[in-house]
Amino acid sequence: MAGVANTWGYGAMTNHFNDIRHSKLIFFIGSNAAEAHPVALQHVLYAKEVNNAPVIVVDPRFTRLAAKATDYVRIRPGTDTAFLMGLINQLIVNDWYDKEFVQTRVAGFEELKKVAAHYTPEVVEDITGVPAKEVVRIAKLLADNRPGTVIWCMGITQHHIGSSNTRACCILQLMLGNMGVSGGGTNIFRGHDNVQGATDMCVLSHSLPGYYGLSEKAWRHWCKVWGVDFDWIKSRFHSKEYMHKPGFTLARWYEGVIQEDKIYQYTPIKAVVFWGCSSNSQSQYFKVKKALDQLELVVIIDPFATTTAAMCEKDNVYLLPSTSQYETEGSVTSSCRQAQWRYKVVDPVYDSKPDYEILKEFVKRFGFEDKFFKNIKEIPEDVTREIARGTLTIGLYGWLPERIKKHTDHWHTFDLFTLQAKGGPCDGEYYGLPWPCWTETHPGTPILYDISKPVAKGGLPFRARFGTEYTYPDGRKENLLAAEGVANPGSEVKGGYPEFPGWKTDINVIRQALKRGMAPFGNARARCYCWNFPDPVPVHREPLHSPRPDLIKKYPTYPDKPDFYRVYTRFKSEQKPELVKDFPLVLITGRVVEHMGGGAETRSNKYLAELMPEVYAEINPKTANDHGLREGDYVWVESPEGGRIKVKVKVTERVDPHTIFIPYSFGGMFMGKSYAGNYPEGLVPYAIGEPANIVVNYGYDIKTQIQGTKEGLCRLKRA
Amino acid sequence: MAPGPFGPGGKEGSMGLMKFICDTERCIACNGCVVACKEGNHVPVGINRRRVITINEGQPGERSISISCMHCSDPPCMAVCPAEAIYKRDDGIVLVNKDLCIGCGYCLLACPFGAPQFPKAGPFGARGVMDKCTFCAGGPAPTFSEKEKRLYGQNRIAEGKVPLCAGMCATKALLAGDAEVISKIYAERVAKRGSGLSPKIF
Repeated sequence: MAGVANTWGYGAMTNHFNDIRHSKLIFFIGSNAAEAHPVALQHVLYAKEVNNAPVIVVDPRFTRLAAKATDYVRIRPGTDTAFLMGLINQLIVNDWYDKEFVQTRVAGFEELKKVAAHYTPEVVEDITGVPAKEVVRIAKLLADNRPGTVIWCMGITQHHIGSSNTRACCILQLMLGNMGVSGGGTNIFRGHDNVQGATDMCVLSHSLPGYYGLSEKAWRHWCKVWGVDFDWIKSRFHSKEYMHKPGFTLARWYEGVIQEDKIYQYTPIKAVVFWGCSSNSQSQYFKVKKALDQLELVVIIDPFATTTAAMCEKDNVYLLPSTSQYETEGSVTSSCRQAQWRYKVVDPVYDSKPDYEILKEFVKRFGFEDKFFKNIKEIPEDVTREIARGTLTIGLYGWLPERIKKHTDHWHTFDLFTLQAKGGPCDGEYYGLPWPCWTETHPGTPILYDISKPVAKGGLPFRARFGTEYTYPDGRKENLLAAEGVANPGSEVKGGYPEFPGWKTDINVIRQALKRGMAPFGNARARCYCWNFPDPVPVHREPLHSPRPDLIKKYPTYPDKPDFYRVYTRFKSEQKPELVKDFPLVLITGRVVEHMGGGAETRSNKYLAELMPEVYAEINPKTANDHGLREGDYVWVESPEGGRIKVKVKVTERVDPHTIFIPYSFGGMFMGKSYAGNYPEGLVPYAIGEPANIVVNYGYDIKTQIQGTKEGLCRLKRA
Repeated sequence: MAPGPFGPGGKEGSMGLMKFICDTERCIACNGCVVACKEGNHVPVGINRRRVITINEGQPGERSISISCMHCSDPPCMAVCPAEAIYKRDDGIVLVNKDLCIGCGYCLLACPFGAPQFPKAGPFGARGVMDKCTFCAGGPAPTFSEKEKRLYGQNRIAEGKVPLCAGMCATKALLAGDAEVISKIYAERVAKRGSGLSPKIF
């Protein structure tokens, strides 16, 4: 998401699911939406049927989504940027790109052009395995069928160059002029219920809610919203440095305990709270397990006794049963930035408690209830109000509980294609008030960066987030604001303009901007060249553990990164060309439709467990025969780091002979041993199995530190 | 009784013919239909009133289809049943009377779709009574009775609702209801293919 935000302003899905019905082409890369987002497929299949939209699926694996594609492109794992840059190059050299769009709304085109020129169809074929003529054909398809949408998921982000991959996707859409239009956009499908909401609240280690960051200004803003004294907050930290220093990430927190890589913190981590989080979705899981057994305290707050609970072998674990979503209420945010009110269906069953109550009990015992609940008398409505008041950056000011409930209650009055209400109590508004919903009367923004609508009616330009002018390394100067004539209808300024000073912390500034028909965050160009990234224009870099040692020299990874979210993170020193000799197969992981995340919930459902009872490795018939493996055999999959798992063999052509695939949602087994006996009595899931993440390799994105689950190496040994 | 969403429902009076269609262009093998059926009707593990079948898995030409009892116009299961336990309602829904079924399994041999299901064989190979898709129309026990729910599951048809499987289907691949209504929906869908227009299809 960092890559997307740094291109044009916000790191979120730009259009919405229903809008895909307007697409003339759908380009999936690194997404198996048929299994991960089955409900969204109705819109995709509609566009395919009615608009004759080509459905292009780029993936190392012939997925169930690929089965619905018109064009399937098999790509070597970890080479997405090379493929995308190859497409971009074709658009440029054949003059198929949208010149007007690029000239008026895009910056850094000249720099892009220079880098893209390297990615000729032949170079792309060598790196990705996609035939050169396919690269040209797909580029032509993209050019001939506009507007098209680009959809991706974790297959794009979970790489050491994940943030380059996401930017390459964005740049592709900029070249096609597919941004800010219905049927176009970058539709990044979020993986879980309310992930967008969790991201917006920055349940992350490097930012306060609403993407404010950790600066003193950010702290002061939120202290004001919370009604809490800044100095008191400051006094809670070890030192002022830690108030502004990003913490550990989900991907690498365990290093804070086991310290196999150097950590940059005054103390090792002593306690961890898992609140609705599966530890078995973290790579190199055997190291996570080691950390769990070293911690002084592990608290698991979940409706289920998770894999984490079973994995802890030290007497250090507390399970706090929380309610499911049906036993509590509040607002949730969809992948496409919409809010919906989730009403309570039943009172909490057994001794489970809603998350709000668990948090309140903690705060009470910690002794700062008076400060924590200053604005919150009615739960959860007052929580939603506080979020609205504080989160001006993404325009949540209009997300009042009354409005969200009104939309949910009258969902049938909204149009299936445009999301706009026709008549009724929400007339003219868009379903779920997609953010930015700038004020209490704003209708929501269904499509980001759409300059055909006034800002007050859901239009927006690209965000001016990176200054007004930039000098590139070769001395070329470029105005970063949008060209003359590019502005939303009714804008006082008929071209680009910088952001309004103070808009992120003062609603009156936002109101002023809207009154003048202008976007509070300015009107700029989208960037092809992000100077604040290690690769300002996306370039291919071989995976840390590459099956092509010959390419490592030409496309090496980054230098190592010390103090990266408080832990030394290896890049160059981890890229070993000789590794492929002992670990010849590429390992990728992903979803199955039956299971969700770490699988605590779905594997505890007897019907889902019946459909998908066991973990398996998909192995190509050729590879299976070369290893003497048959369908149903058991095999050890081993990682270079020393992780190993025993799984069933599934012989299938879904994967090519160089690749194996393992679904990642299993748990309850560990390196050949069952931990069923470690669950509280009666709570063993119906389906248990080895977490694939035990063998997922070392490797993290250079910008966000997301784990690279789609580009490791492994080997097979008959069990 | 109030007419349901697909014409008049229930047992009495003149009514349409209840049918399923599965659009293989739309089925993504998500198994939502299977799980909805099992959860909603409390079907035991091992009994599959509905299944998703995939052919050419992992290869170009992969297709999936959701299959259950097709509620045939001339059901072979009914013809071969020695206990006359299988009957057909006026609305075309084929049901089994579990009080009469002797578990012989002839219906399973006769059915081209493998729809009849039997609980696991016991030590002497004895089968339990047959279970199959009821089109969510309960069974011969009194409508909405505890016995009906226990032996056959929900009676959504009597409530004027579509079967759970079709109601759940995310891509609307699986359509269920009055044959005339669903064939019209399907025909419209086929007619609109490639039209590039954007009127609503469902």
